[in-house]
Amino acid sequence: MRDYPMVKKAVVLAAGEGKRLRPFTETMPKVMLPVANKPILEYVFDAIREAGINDVLCIVGYKKEVIQEYFKDYTKLTITYITQDKQLGTGHALLQAQAHVKEPFILLPGDNIIDSQSIKKLIDTPADYAILIKKHPHPSKYGVIFFKNNKISQIVEKPKEDIGEYISTGIYKLPASIFLDLDRCAAQGIYALSTVIQTVIDNQKKINTTLADLWMDIVYPWDLIHVNEVMSHRLNAAISGTIEKNVTMKGPVCIGKDTKIYAGCYIVGPAIIGDNCEIGPNTCLFPSTTIGNNVAIHPFTEIRNSVIMDDVHIGSNSLVSHSVIGKGCTTGHTFSTLAQKTTIEIEDEYKHLTTPIGTMIGEDCVIDSHVTVHPGIIIGRKCTIGAMTKIQQPIPSETNVM
Amino acid sequence: MCGIIGYTGFREARPILLDGLKRLDYRGYDSAGLAIIGTSLKVYKDVGEIATIEKKIPAMKGTIGIGHTRWATHGGVTKENAHPHLSCDKKTAIVHNGIIENFQPLKETLLKKGHIFTSQTDSEIIAHLIDDEYTGDFQEAVFAAVAKIKGSYSIVIVSEHAPGKVFGTRKESPLVVGVGDNENFLASDIPAFLKYTNRAIPLDDGELCVITHNTVTIYDAHKKPLKKKEELITWDIKDAEKSGFPHFMLKEIYEQTDTIHQVLRGRLSEIEETITFTPDVEQLLATNFSTLHIVACGTSYYASLVGKYYIEKLTNIPVEVALASEYRYYGNHNPNALVIAVTQSGETADTIAVLKEAKNSGQHTLVITNVIGSTATRVADSYILTQSGPEIGVAATKTFTAQITTLFLLALKTATLHHTLEPADTYTYIIQLKDLSRHIRDVLQRNDQINTIAHHLKDATSAFYIGRGVDYPIALEGALKLKEISYIHAEGFAAGELKHGPLALLTTETPVIAIVTPSPTYDKMIANIGEIKARGSPVIAIAEDKDTEIDKHVDYVLRYPCDTTDLSCIVITVLLQLLAYHTANLRGCSIDKPRNLAKSVTVE
Repeated sequence: MRDYPMVKKAVVLAAGEGKRLRPFTETMPKVMLPVANKPILEYVFDAIREAGINDVLCIVGYKKEVIQEYFKDYTKLTITYITQDKQLGTGHALLQAQAHVKEPFILLPGDNIIDSQSIKKLIDTPADYAILIKKHPHPSKYGVIFFKNNKISQIVEKPKEDIGEYISTGIYKLPASIFLDLDRCAAQGIYALSTVIQTVIDNQKKINTTLADLWMDIVYPWDLIHVNEVMSHRLNAAISGTIEKNVTMKGPVCIGKDTKIYAGCYIVGPAIIGDNCEIGPNTCLFPSTTIGNNVAIHPFTEIRNSVIMDDVHIGSNSLVSHSVIGKGCTTGHTFSTLAQKTTIEIEDEYKHLTTPIGTMIGEDCVIDSHVTVHPGIIIGRKCTIGAMTKIQQPIPSETNVM
Repeated sequence: MCGIIGYTGFREARPILLDGLKRLDYRGYDSAGLAIIGTSLKVYKDVGEIATIEKKIPAMKGTIGIGHTRWATHGGVTKENAHPHLSCDKKTAIVHNGIIENFQPLKETLLKKGHIFTSQTDSEIIAHLIDDEYTGDFQEAVFAAVAKIKGSYSIVIVSEHAPGKVFGTRKESPLVVGVGDNENFLASDIPAFLKYTNRAIPLDDGELCVITHNTVTIYDAHKKPLKKKEELITWDIKDAEKSGFPHFMLKEIYEQTDTIHQVLRGRLSEIEETITFTPDVEQLLATNFSTLHIVACGTSYYASLVGKYYIEKLTNIPVEVALASEYRYYGNHNPNALVIAVTQSGETADTIAVLKEAKNSGQHTLVITNVIGSTATRVADSYILTQSGPEIGVAATKTFTAQITTLFLLALKTATLHHTLEPADTYTYIIQLKDLSRHIRDVLQRNDQINTIAHHLKDATSAFYIGRGVDYPIALEGALKLKEISYIHAEGFAAGELKHGPLALLTTETPVIAIVTPSPTYDKMIANIGEIKARGSPVIAIAEDKDTEIDKHVDYVLRYPCDTTDLSCIVITVLLQLLAYHTANLRGCSIDKPRNLAKSVTVE
């Protein structure tokens, strides 16, 4: 068997917006959505590093400054940013890296969580072309892989129905010659990477497949809650900050620097609390709650299985359950989210959720006291909601509700 | 400030010195040079930026050497005036930052003794002076020479007479030892060696340091060896890189959502409704002083003017703000005044001089600075750090907003200590401070709109900024940002002053940027805008999101999201920074290294 050269570089695609994840992606690209207090992209970078690669080309576009600002102190990798001005497709995005890649490399979407083991297996595959695949119960949102005689015969991008069982994770090991194929396809106006890969298959090149271990995608806002839950179970307890007397902590709990947990708090892990937070007296946090940086939770509040992003204030006597609260939101006291299994309308489709869901609130909303939100409601960014209001309908961004 | 580096160790000195100089070069320089000792001492120096000179520098072998990037103060920008400077026997080379005040008499004496000078710099005399004192013990010669010079300096020296050694000494100009493994460094700033070691020892005034590849010995001015503790540098070299942003300035503008939190970090409690500083700062603020004197230079001076507004509003204590270079000679040394110095680098020469004199005359002193271990923190009674991380762009951005936020915190703390504020108001201010970051984030989202408006500014030869109250110093700062990076002549005025002169300068080609906030003087601002419109000048208003009136009066509106009048000036600053940035960018200016400017001015 011939030797395959070492893979030394990774190209990470991080230019897309993630429209289905609005309102959260109105101000940041999908790759920056936080999962267990870390942007998705950081999971990708960490996994790349742990798999032994030091050099990353990161293709950025939509709200790139948010990425660049966040990773300014990231020292584990050498990151080179390349801007894709128009988001024409994944093939086009990869093409932006052409001048920087002369050897075999791996390609990863920046918006899916992946572990280092899977990447390692992919790198070590003795083949020029290899793809990480994953069994998926609902393949229709992805590129579905079909086999013939144990070889990939076809990749069908987002089929109308759930056909096939393996999907492409979009993570590839590729030779530098792929850029010639990309160029050729681009000349015909083809910018989708899976189409380019199909031409490679059609040219009788062998593409190895490797099964991914951990791979997770976030499609809709409520997926944040589930993915956060899964990832927070993988964390080990780590406590800094100040913990007052009579605080009960069970299970793995992470508490960041300069955070203060006041007396009487009851915290059941997995629970993650960021830096510089104040968790007021007698606050109860239940699994799997993640709280970002600079958050203040006022006394007697209960939070369960929720994602509270950075710079949020939550008033006293509130109940936040199975919910996502975006950056910079403020709620007054006695704020309640009702959580239930429910049906949510999105993109003209009705999604029936099999687990309870509370509310999802975009960035920088100001909510006055005694507000109750019905299950499954999405509230946009920069909304203002008056006191004593009951929210039963989705609220678009920048709306005032009195 | 010039950049200085010295190295002795196991590696080739040339790439280390060049790399170090490049890390200092971001401050903007006009010439550079190296001296390396291999088999003998060799020197190369030239005019230009280090990146340009690098290609011309020949291979220079040796593991010991010194380097310098110069920003001219004495003598023109010429190859001869570039450092290092040599002694007559060409065995000793020195690099110097600062000013030798008594260089004329020293030079005359040395000339009489037959020394031949090749440059017009004050620095060159140091090499000749050491040479003149040398009688077999090089270290003694360095001591003797340093004792004869007056002024401010940091000096690094190598000589064939002292193989394996690099000497360094400082007075009123920064010099730091970098302690590595089997290699040691001397540099005017930490980033120069941070790639190789994070262990640093800042030298104090009058100290002299001798490093070899495996020893660091520090002496006081009386030649007595000192034991000094190493400091671990926790920020990383990556901080000094651009992270994909086209300029450090833009990166630092975007960092402000974070730096504002860093200023507040550990100092603000929403639950307890308290503000906390270190005990010595709190003790100082609780003192019964009758007045406050704030001294600063440049951008820090404008931050101080905002500080005056805050302190007087919240505490009723009268505040005097002065430029350090003026206060130093003309200020009154009221013993009941607390003197607060605001300096980003903690090394600003005039500001430090004020602190020293204030201390000598028995005044209490407090410094607000970004750099721990800087001269200012060691001179003043206490210090408050702005905790903003290193700022690379010559135009101050994140450190300015951090200074204002710190001054607001200081005003708030002083008010609670002197009981001049209702607890409910304190809580409101705490929430407003904590919300600042999200308002800044919101302004950053409007980057594209600001860029569009910058197109209306880019062809101007002159622009005016006006504001009232707390927005007046913001107008000054906005104008400073524009002029220093885009080279458009810009002036800030208190809006009410327009008719007392500046109106005469307005033409249809002079854009006016008017900061119009919902304050009691809103109508006055509208009236001022009317005066300007009557002269046909285009007006760009900076107005709050909810202001529906302003569109009727001006040509363009840039909006900001913040309904808290006192702190909105911080949000507006970010907007004006972006406006200046985009204007300069459209004009193709060298944004991170504006001509004729250096980051911190350690000469008077």
